[in-house]
Order: sequence, then C-alpha cells, then structure tokens
Amino acid sequence: MMQVAIAVLLDSLHLLRARKMFGIALAISLAIGVAYAAIGFDAEGMTLFGFKKIPNPMMTEGSENAAAFYILLFIDVIVRYWLAWVVILIGLISTISIFPDFLAEGSIGVSLSKPVSRPVLFLLKYLGGLMFVALQVFLLSLIAFLAIGFRIGEWNIGIFWAVPVVTFVFSLIYCVSVLAAVVTKSTAFSLIAGLGIWGFSLLVQWGEDLTYKFGVMMPEMGATVDVSTGQTKVAEEGDGGGARSWQRTFEGIMTPLPKTRACTLWLKRLIVFDDRESPLQGMDLGMVLTGAGDDPQMRELMVKYEARHSAWYVFGTSALFQAVVLGLAITLFSRRDY
Amino acid sequence: MSVPAIEIESIQKRYGRFEALKELSLTVPAGSVFGLLGPNGAGKSTLVKSLLTIVRPTLCRGTLLGKKIGHRPTLAKVGYLPEHAKFPDYLTGRQIVSYSARMTKVVAKQATVKTEELLELVGMGHWADKRNGTYSKGMRQRVGLAQALVNDPEIVFLDEPTDGVDPEGRVEIRGIIEKMRDQGRTVFVNSHLLAEVEAVADEVAILAQGKIVERGRTADLVKSGSRFIVRALGPVPFELKAAFEREGAKVAGDRVECECEDAKGVQGIIDALRKAGVVVREVIETRTSLEEVFMRAIRQSKGGES
Repeated sequence: MMQVAIAVLLDSLHLLRARKMFGIALAISLAIGVAYAAIGFDAEGMTLFGFKKIPNPMMTEGSENAAAFYILLFIDVIVRYWLAWVVILIGLISTISIFPDFLAEGSIGVSLSKPVSRPVLFLLKYLGGLMFVALQVFLLSLIAFLAIGFRIGEWNIGIFWAVPVVTFVFSLIYCVSVLAAVVTKSTAFSLIAGLGIWGFSLLVQWGEDLTYKFGVMMPEMGATVDVSTGQTKVAEEGDGGGARSWQRTFEGIMTPLPKTRACTLWLKRLIVFDDRESPLQGMDLGMVLTGAGDDPQMRELMVKYEARHSAWYVFGTSALFQAVVLGLAITLFSRRDY
Repeated sequence: MSVPAIEIESIQKRYGRFEALKELSLTVPAGSVFGLLGPNGAGKSTLVKSLLTIVRPTLCRGTLLGKKIGHRPTLAKVGYLPEHAKFPDYLTGRQIVSYSARMTKVVAKQATVKTEELLELVGMGHWADKRNGTYSKGMRQRVGLAQALVNDPEIVFLDEPTDGVDPEGRVEIRGIIEKMRDQGRTVFVNSHLLAEVEAVADEVAILAQGKIVERGRTADLVKSGSRFIVRALGPVPFELKAAFEREGAKVAGDRVECECEDAKGVQGIIDALRKAGVVVREVIETRTSLEEVFMRAIRQSKGGES
C-alpha cells in the first residue's frame, strides 16, 4: 500500500514539477513571503527591510496593535487573497488535466491492471492533485511562522492551520472538477464545473454576508440602509427585517454548498494565542488600521458576526458536500469499463 | 500437468444490446506464447481487459494463474502493455518503469536494478532520462514493453506490441517474446499482424464477432492445410491422372497436387509415376499461412452468421 501511495504521489510531484505555473506560483509565493518577512516594528512604527521607516505610534514594537496587524496581514491579505484566490485558481488550472489524462484510453489500463483497488487508486490520485496547493501554502506558512516568531515574538504553530484549511477549500472545488472529469473525461468541462461551483457558492456566501450586515449588524449599531435608495438612516424597531429574511434564504441555499469563503475566514479563529487575549477575534485588518478595533461595541458585533455560523455548519457541511461528490465520483470510477 | 495460465470456462460481455464477447471459453497453457487474432472490433482487447479487471465482464467463470479472474493480488504477477499505450509526457522512461514497479509492489532495490536492465533490453538505455514527450511512437512502445516486464510477470499481455515500431524493433520485440517463453513465462499477444504472430506463437485463437472461430497449435493449423505438388517431366499419363484423381489429388498437365499431413502421403504418387517411367522433376511442400487460416475462419464465421 505504501509503495503504491509513493508511486502515485511521486507521479503527481513529477507532474507539478513539469507545470510551469506551479514554479511561477511558488516563486511569487516566495517573493510574497520575503516581502512579508521584511516588515518589522521599532519604537517609532513600522520598518521595511530594517531601514525604511514608516512612523506610526499605533504600530510600535511590542504593541498589541502591531502584533494584530502583522498576523492579520498574513490571514486577511496573504491567505485570504493570494492563497485562497490566486493560488487556488492557478492550482485548479494546473491540476485540472490530471484526471482527464489519467482516464484517457491507453493510460488508465496500465494503472487498473495493477493489484490496487480502484477506490484507493482514485483517492491517491485525488490527494496528488491537492499537493499543488498544500505545498504552496506550507511554504508561505513556514515563512509567516518564522517571520511572526522573529518580528513579534509569537512562535505560534497555529499559523500552520492555513495548510489544511486552504487545501480543504481547494479540495471543495477540485472534487467537483474531478467528478466532472470522471463523467465527461473532458478537461474543459472539468474546469468549467470547478469554476462554476466556486463562483456560485461565492455569490451565495457574499449574499448571505451582505444581508447579515444589513439585517443584523447595522440595526444593532443603530443604523439601517434603505435598499431602494442606498441611504443610511437611524434604525427604528423592526428595521432590517427584509434583509434578515433574505439572509435566512441565502443561508438555506448555502447549507448544502461548499463554504469556501467562510472556511478561509474561519482560520482567524483557529490561530489562538495562549499567553494573552487573542487580538484576532472580532477584528480585521481594516479595523486595526482605522482604530475601529478599540470600539468595544464594534468589536462585540464583529465577534458575533464571525461566530454566526458554527464550525459544523462551515466545515462539517462542506466536508459532507465533498464526501457526497467524491463518493459519487469514486462509485462512477469504480464501476465503469475502460 | 501444469495449471493453465488462463482457463476461461465462460466469459460474456454486453454493452447494452451489443454482445462484445459471446460466452466464449479459452485455455492458454502456461509457458507458451499465445496469439489472439481477429479483425477490428472482434473483441480481442475487451477479452484482455476483462481478464485484467479493466472491463467488468457481464458473466465470467474462469481462472488466471490458478486464481479466480478478478482476484486483484494475482495482478501483481501480470504484465500488461495496452494498445495505443499512453504514458504521461512529463515522465521519463525510467520514471514510467519505476511507477509500474511500485504499483506492482516490486521491492525498491530490485526495481532499480530491473528498471535499468529492462531499459537496456528494449534499447532505451541511452534515452532513459529523457521525457516521454520527446520519444517517437516506437520508443514509447519500447518503454511500454519495459514497464510491462518490470515485475517479472508470470503472464504478460501485449496488445499490438509492435504498433509503431520499426522493422528492426519488431525483430527485437519478437526476440524478447521468445526469451520470455524460454524463461517459462506465458505471453498473450493480441495482434492483427498475422505473420508476426505466426512466427512467434505456439498457439493461436481467432476471434470474430465475440466468438472463438478457430483455435489450436499454430503448427497444427498451418499443417492441417499442408499440400504437396509433384511435377513430372512432361504431362502426367492419362491412366495415372484418373487414378490420382480417384484418390483425391488434383492433376493438371505436369502437376499432381495432393493434400496430406506429411511427406509419407505423397510417396505413393511418386512411386506410381516412377513405375510408369515418368521422371519426377520436383516435389514442393506448401503450407497454408496463418493468414489463409485466418481469412478462411473469418469467412466461415460470416457465412455462419448469415
């Protein structure tokens, strides 16, 4: 079993090495990591590469704000945009042909004629595809772990949660592409299916997020938005009911879908600091930069906003989605004649 | 008596209403080279794929290397080169063979030695570290053959092994097949190149429309159609002609043609001619080629169908 796993995963590594996009994405990840590590803090504010000074009394060495800024820069910018968007997109494009090529006439027969069960072969091939993203995220997480350790003295292993979380997010899209590949053996259709489910689930998540802000957060802050005119006014009792109803509808649609965005945002809750109050809960990078994080009401609303869905809802239902899609793909793969 | 390498009691494969394999039975002796012949669409590849679990037969009773067909661990003792073999372009020849070795659970050290040895054997030693994408069709086929042999298989299935290979390579592949037989392995060759199969196969079966329409030892099949032509110096005398024709021979001018298994059968004709003072100019033994056997079997199967 181990030998078979090595064979299939090595094959995936060879594939990644052959893909130029993997190398390019890795180089950019490295550059981003170096740029991130170059940010430091001293008594006056931020520094870049140790010499370029950006004076900021809120971001001085050893301050809570500096620590929050530095960690949130990794989570809210690098993970959220580079890893969870660009790397996943490049990963999808780079790995999309794995299954269609594997299933091609003259190729599949060699692997199926070996003493390996079809489900095992399928899963190993699938894991091989996930390596693209896992390796990229691991590299950046390692740099971030070292940078955070040296810059703000927090040697937090929790940073590496980014590896399983982002890989899981990628797998939620990739599994749909794989199912499409098993059904159609077409690379183009496989890509369209992956991008389609990703786009649709994002739209639903954005819709739910926005309606939650309009329907719950803003009335609690004492404001409401007139959706027809876009004007903000003082909230009255019963305001936001329409948005809340939409939020519930979006939430219902979202339940069986993969929650790619929500999973990425959850990362903040996984990186916990034991020796002091976490600066991350109820805070985002914008709040750190604008000082809104100091407002306890805002902080409380943000904590509530972040915690509005349970881990089961975010990860559990997403995992269930993946299990169903993969189960279907494995069943089809195992029962088909080649 | 040794266990046959393949013993199919009955195998059937249906695709909807189309019957690709019609409950055929087949026995392949261990340690022999077996040729499966048939026109395109006859079901040759379907049969091989059914034995290797690539295709799931509708009905299957039989054994492969003494184990029930479909017994997965047995596949570790099997080698397979598919028709139009397609290996990833990003892998080198060495990596392709190593992949196959790991998949069949060959011990790492042994796999390294074996990979080297086989790449040399198929003439790809110098090209082992080049990527498959840079290989010609013939080179890919050679690497494919090497990967099929890396686990020291007891039985090797070669589906159109000389497809795209140059004449020199074909001779080499024939040599490799003969060597495998000498080592006691069973080689199952699917091919439409009849002359090649005739040159190397101990036994053949002809498959047409999902049924075996002819089978037997290659030597027997071509021998069963053996003919002898006796040529006299001048026309065969009338009284002898009539006598020979009564015995089933064909006589035309100076030629007497008879069908007989071996040279003993023609001695009577020679004796009769010489007794009558006719000079025997030449005796020619002609054998039916496998191609003729094949064409005849296919024609008969079509006749049977209609």
